[in-house]
Order: sequence, then C-alpha cells, then structure tokens
Amino acid sequence: MEYVSPEGLRLDGRRPMEMRQIRAEIGAVSKADGSAIFEMGNTKVIAAVYGPREVQNRSQQISSHALVRCEYCMANFSTGDRMRKSKGDRRSTEISLVIRQTMEACILTHLLPRSQIDIYVQVLQADGGTRSACINAATLALADAGIPMRDLVTSCSAGYLNSTPLLDLNYVEDSAGGPDVTLGILPKLDKVTLLQMDSKLPIDILENVMQLAIEGCKAIANYIREILLANTKQLEYRRGV
Amino acid sequence: MGLSNASEDLSSEMEVDAFRRLFPLRYFERHLAESIRPDGRPLGKARETSIFLGAVASANGSALVKIGSTTMLTAIKMEVMTPSLESPDEGCLAIDFHMPPICSPIVRPGRPAEASPVVSKQLSDTISSSRMIDLKELSLVGGKAAWMAYLNAAFSIMQDIYCLDADGALFDAALISAVAALSHLQIPAVAMNDDGKIVLVSGEDGQKPVNKEKRKLTLRSIPFSLTCILHKNYILADPTAEEESIMETHVTIVLDTSGQLISLYKPGGPALAYTSAIQDCVGLTGQRVKELKSYLDKENSAMEVVV
Repeated sequence: MEYVSPEGLRLDGRRPMEMRQIRAEIGAVSKADGSAIFEMGNTKVIAAVYGPREVQNRSQQISSHALVRCEYCMANFSTGDRMRKSKGDRRSTEISLVIRQTMEACILTHLLPRSQIDIYVQVLQADGGTRSACINAATLALADAGIPMRDLVTSCSAGYLNSTPLLDLNYVEDSAGGPDVTLGILPKLDKVTLLQMDSKLPIDILENVMQLAIEGCKAIANYIREILLANTKQLEYRRGV
Repeated sequence: MGLSNASEDLSSEMEVDAFRRLFPLRYFERHLAESIRPDGRPLGKARETSIFLGAVASANGSALVKIGSTTMLTAIKMEVMTPSLESPDEGCLAIDFHMPPICSPIVRPGRPAEASPVVSKQLSDTISSSRMIDLKELSLVGGKAAWMAYLNAAFSIMQDIYCLDADGALFDAALISAVAALSHLQIPAVAMNDDGKIVLVSGEDGQKPVNKEKRKLTLRSIPFSLTCILHKNYILADPTAEEESIMETHVTIVLDTSGQLISLYKPGGPALAYTSAIQDCVGLTGQRVKELKSYLDKENSAMEVVV
C-alpha cells in the first residue's frame, strides 16, 4: 500500500513532516485537582490529576518522596469495533507504566513526601498516537493541579514508511507494520525522558526519525505553553489580580 | 444553648469557605431560609444544561451532555446478533454505565464505583419500560432459510455511557445523554456477503443492502428525569454532589414527553416523602421535561441543518 503519494502527500492529506491539528483545554473535570483534554487529529484524550493527597494504602507510603500512580483506560467506543475489555489488558498496563515513569521523571516528588499523586487518563477516541496524546494531556493536568515539575513533558510519534520519515502517525500508518518511534522530551532541559520503538529501523535513519519526533515535541511544547499562559491570564482576570 | 451561640460567633469570624467545610448543613440551611442555594439558584431550578450530538466520530450515535459540571458522554455501537428464540424478530439494547476514576476523587481504580451498576440497571429499566424504542425496528433478516449463517438477524444497540465529571444528578444526566445518543443514532446499511455473513455496506460495493439505507430510529415518547432532594419542608431540584452528600433524601422521577409517569425512585433516606411533596416533585419534573425536550429538538434540528 502507498502511504505517501508521488506528490508527497499522506493518506489524510498531510505532508510527511506535518502534524495533525492539536487542541487542548484545561479544567475539564471540576472535581479534579487538575484536568485537561488533549486532541491530536481524531485522537481525543482526557486526563485528570488527583493529589497530592493522603496515601490510600499506608504500606505504599514513601517517607522521602511522593508516590505517583497512573491508570490508562480506553473507552469501549474509542476504536472502530466496540472493545469488550477496555481495562486490565496487557497493553493498558504497559501504557499506564510508561506514562507513570515518564511523568515521574519530571515531577519534583521529593517536595511532596508521604503523599500520593494519581494520574488518570481516559481515551475517548483512538486514531493512533494515544500514548503521546496521554502524556501531553497528563502534563497539562499536572500543571493545572499546580504540581511542581522540572519541566513540561511533551511527546510525539514518528515513523518510517515508503522510505519516508513521517511525523505524528495516525492509526492506518501506525498499523502498517513499519517502525514507530514514540518520543517524550523535557523541552527546556533538552532531555529525552521516553523513547520507544517497534520494528526494525537502520541506525542512520533512526537519527532522522528521532529528530523529526523532537521537532514535533517542541512544537507541542510551544502550544502547551500558550495554553497554560492563556489559562493563567484567565485566572488572574477572574481573581482581579 | 451556649454552644450554639459560640459556634455562631465563630462563624461570623471565620471565612465563608471554612464555615462551609466545618458546618456544611448549617451553611446550606442558612441559604435555604432565604429560598436560595449557595450557587445562586432558586430551590426548584435545575442547573444550566447543554446537549452536543455527534461528539464521538467512531460511533454510530453519540451525545455529550452537561448539567452544570456533571458531564456524560454516550456512544452507541451497532452490532449484528442472532436474536433469542423467544423474540426472533426483535433486536436488543444493552446499556453500560461507566464511572472511570477521572470523574470523582471518591472513585478509585480497581473496584468499580458503587453507583455504576445501580445507574446501569435504572437506565435499562427506564428505557425499556418507557417503550421509547420498538425493538422490532432493529430486525434485519427474519426466518429466511436461504441464509446460511443467520436464520434470522437483528441489530443490537451497545450503549456505553461514560461519566466524565460526577457533580450530582448522575442518573438525570445519564438518561438525557442516552436518549440524545439514541436520537442521533443512524442505523447503518448492511448486506449479506457470499458466506452468509452480514457486513456493513460501503458505497462502492455492489452489494444489495438487507436494510435499505442508513436511517434513524423512530423514538416514541421520550423519558426524562429529575432528581430532587427533600430536606425538612424544602424541595431542591437537580442537586450538586455536595448537596447530595449533605442532605440524604433523594427522589428521582421519570416522566415521558406525553406526561406519563415512567418511574419513581426514592432509595430510603431519613426524611419521609409525603404524597404532597412527591406531587410537587412531579410538577417540577413536568416543567423540566418540557425544557429538556426543547433542548433536544433544537440540537436535532441544528444537526439536520449541518447534514
């Protein structure tokens, strides 16, 4: 199948180095300490953060830093066919772990000892790049909750199909069987906090694909900063500062 | 007596928020005495309600409903099934209500929220007893021996309702979103393939559809509900989560658009619900039904314009 046309266009009309349209909204869940909706094309994700709060299970309490927990869950209707079991499968458990470890790398947990931070992520619509969207949503939700972080974490995927590096893969491209690199970075510190790759990819091409993903992450970081800034201004206005 | 005076003196010195947290019931009762609620609503007024149809692109029908902060997202997936022997010419409707941990600090992962199965059951009972949907409309192939795989086939409506934000009146919001999603639902065109399997028809295929073209369900009298709280001699319509936690006597009344009483649900609670109080609740529900029907009609007509 031809994923990139001779004119250099992908199946959804994007150029190889073009991202899908992104949209974010802060404060989607009133009861949560922090929450956000993040959309990348047809992938829609909602994240909520509860905490820092008292540790539910005392045996898990850590005296030196906060306990970070994460749960990733897909809505039954999020994919083409209705999912029978949307929670507790190996994929969900793996993604939960990936998100937790990625977010732990940026949260200043030592400032919040003996407490617990819960990050819950729900996928409402899945069209490829769900783990990237989840990390971006979780970052926004953590910032909304006022949890101290070293830097924002932003994530984006890139792949290699028809001898062309592609940025921000959708479901069709993702399931084509080609290499898929998911990258998470701390944009200001210029550090990589997440790197996952499926399928074979020559090392020299990996650098190009990674560079493409880094550029995508930085573009998302700029957008997230704009959203946070707009939200802060709105809060200032409401409080009459 | 001295103690109550002391706490009154204390309340005048404390910040409003602190007083609200320490003495929630007294805080509410002070407002109720003025016939107003802390959020500025009159006692019998519901929160601002909005309905958005077609919120989920991957579903056959969907709706996002907000009542105040309470947010429900419903999506419907149609599946082809073999009907039961008792009703071979009928499809079925399965409703699942989910409360993921994002919706409330009370809901934790692992154990499902207590309210989930209760609301699921209530919704199923309400929608089936309202006879809003004729399940015969979902029939596809009835008793035709020529078809190999399906001697008869029908659609099953798999309805998933996700609570994205739980701030009181969960059943009301869930019912509105379920009804709105059903009103948005388009039954897909299907055809029988060479193996006798029923498959979705895509435009280019030369397959002959079993069920003509995409069509909407015929909804008859649509049920809507209103939850009220009975506290002393006050009736509070559409309570928030905070109000529900403080005042324990709830009454949920379901009426359809023709004004018929579908169900009445009062699960215990300390206050005795006298007949007059229940009649007042029914009156409030009647007004609310008209209001919600106009919202839904408006949204449906807006969708038709878009299409």
